[in-house]
Amino acid sequence: MKLLETHRAEIETIVARYASKRSAVLPLLYLAQDTYGYLTDEAIREVATILELPPTDVYEVVGFYTLFYNRPVGTWVLQVCDDVPCCYCGAEELIAALKQTLGISEDETTPDGMFTLQRVKCLAACDRAPVLQANLDYVYDVTPDRVQTLLNDLRARAAEARKRGVSGRFAEDYEFTRDGRLVQIERFAPYRPREFVIEPPAPVSSPPPSVVPEADAGLDRADTRKASPL
Amino acid sequence: MGLSEHIVMRELDIPDIADFEVYRRHGGWEAYRYALTEKTPADIVQMVKDSGLRGRGGAGFPTGIKWGFLPKGVYPRYLLCNCDESEPGTFNNHQIIDRNPHQLIEGVALSAYAIEANTAYIYMRGEFAAAARALEQAIAQAYAAGFLGKNILGTGFDLDIYIHRGAGAYICGEETALMESLEGKIGQPRLKPPFPAVAGLYGKPTIINNVETLANVPRIVEKGVAWYRSHGTEKSPGTKCFSLSGHVNRPGNYELPFGVPLRELIESPEYGGGMKGGRPVKIIIPGGASAPWLTADHLDVPLDYESIAAAGSMLGSGAVIVLNDTVSAPHLAYKMDEFFKHESCGKCTPCREGTHWLVRTLHRMVEDGHATAADIDTLHSIYRQMAGNCFCLLGESAVMPIKSALQLFPSEFEALVKRSGKSNGHHIPLVAHH
Repeated sequence: MKLLETHRAEIETIVARYASKRSAVLPLLYLAQDTYGYLTDEAIREVATILELPPTDVYEVVGFYTLFYNRPVGTWVLQVCDDVPCCYCGAEELIAALKQTLGISEDETTPDGMFTLQRVKCLAACDRAPVLQANLDYVYDVTPDRVQTLLNDLRARAAEARKRGVSGRFAEDYEFTRDGRLVQIERFAPYRPREFVIEPPAPVSSPPPSVVPEADAGLDRADTRKASPL
Repeated sequence: MGLSEHIVMRELDIPDIADFEVYRRHGGWEAYRYALTEKTPADIVQMVKDSGLRGRGGAGFPTGIKWGFLPKGVYPRYLLCNCDESEPGTFNNHQIIDRNPHQLIEGVALSAYAIEANTAYIYMRGEFAAAARALEQAIAQAYAAGFLGKNILGTGFDLDIYIHRGAGAYICGEETALMESLEGKIGQPRLKPPFPAVAGLYGKPTIINNVETLANVPRIVEKGVAWYRSHGTEKSPGTKCFSLSGHVNRPGNYELPFGVPLRELIESPEYGGGMKGGRPVKIIIPGGASAPWLTADHLDVPLDYESIAAAGSMLGSGAVIVLNDTVSAPHLAYKMDEFFKHESCGKCTPCREGTHWLVRTLHRMVEDGHATAADIDTLHSIYRQMAGNCFCLLGESAVMPIKSALQLFPSEFEALVKRSGKSNGHHIPLVAHH
């Protein structure tokens, strides 16, 4: 019982918040995920034992929620919002830049085990598109030209062991400044109004670019998408 | 028509209000102290009823009336704050927590007192990880100042507030799915009735309100019903934090009195600042992904529950997505329904199957370029079989994007058919894309 040995006080505090032990399953799974790196069978069974639940019930929970990983993931899990409106505000260009720079597709991990890339649904930061989360740290305004800066910073944080688990238990949020620096957002700090770059009007005659891709070769086209590893 | 004083987004008036001491100096926690020492819980419920405050999470149901549904004399009761903000276009809860966290916590505490609950949970979507940590610190400050815990201010009232992080599931914003999730189960909605006020969390009487709704409560108690009702309209009093996104120059949250026209939100240099690059407005989704679409013809519709409903849509969560003429209506319907397909919990057949078939048909038409004339009839047939037949509102919401797209922009679907060269409608089997 590794978890109880290493985190007994924290587990007891969490369980005490609820009228039913079972309610602690999500927080304990986060804890287990960070302790083991991902939710191994051992980790899932340990949570079940602590909460006096049948292991199948915990497996069901792990399978239902998207933030639980029952396969190994990279040191950094990059989750890019590709939903409306982000997909019309640069998300696809960001995903393309990440794929090219990392040399992987969605739901793959780089050979060095550093980055896993995923598309995710709305992250509730639509005004800061393109947006992604790195181990649940928000990073706002990630235009494609800022990808290299971000990846360098994440590699440096991993090297300095400043990255603490994929579950967001120690998450911090980040943003890019207008001059392209990546800075941590200070909590409880005075509010500063955001500065906007106002795009000048385009010539009236310009036709709308089409966002629908041109029809491709046909039905026999190989499906290049990979099955989710998760 | 801007506000001289904000009700919720007070960081615009007091930039350092996220600091606990600054919040205190500007009257923070005084409404709570006043309620506990001078008012009964029933007095507070009455004030909220009289204020006309309506739930900001989407349904717009009067908050005080909801509180009044609690059965008398049944305890314990629970207060749940719904912060599972996950619908495309919504992002005001996120910013309230980042910028004015203490007002939310005071609102939770005050509302718990009003409904006589001794435990409150703030259910935050799992992705709000850093925000959850910050809110935990803010709660700790409230405990340290004696506003939470046992025998608060010597009144005998006990209250604990806990943060509970979800783990990635939009459906957990549905109130009964949220309760299931909080009980440690998968987030599938419960059959209603019984309604949460009668049998909610752990089968006990439970009130569940959205972040923005609860953040209004301290100001109602502090400044009074008449002051509150001096904002907004007769039937939609107060203000709304509109989340404006898409192709506008200044996307962000803007707190406005109910009743301001859409055009002002989009075009005013104080708010949206007009369309990026001066391109024309094509589609406006005024209330999150589940709202029927509006077009440039509706720019003069006032933003309040009744007017948006009269225009054929819904104000919902006040998430206004504005898209320009570069966006294809079938593609937008595809992306929106892909969201609902991804988030369908799998409990009921019309939603689980319907969202899959919508997305598979749309994928074939939009992404693969194999649209056939029969596909348009198929889409109509799928959403008609879903509408009114889903277990909860998620499946019903998934009907809106495709229905809107087909009604407002039928020629774009026909163009897809024409372009694929399969207008004779010969059958192409659907290919699964999971």
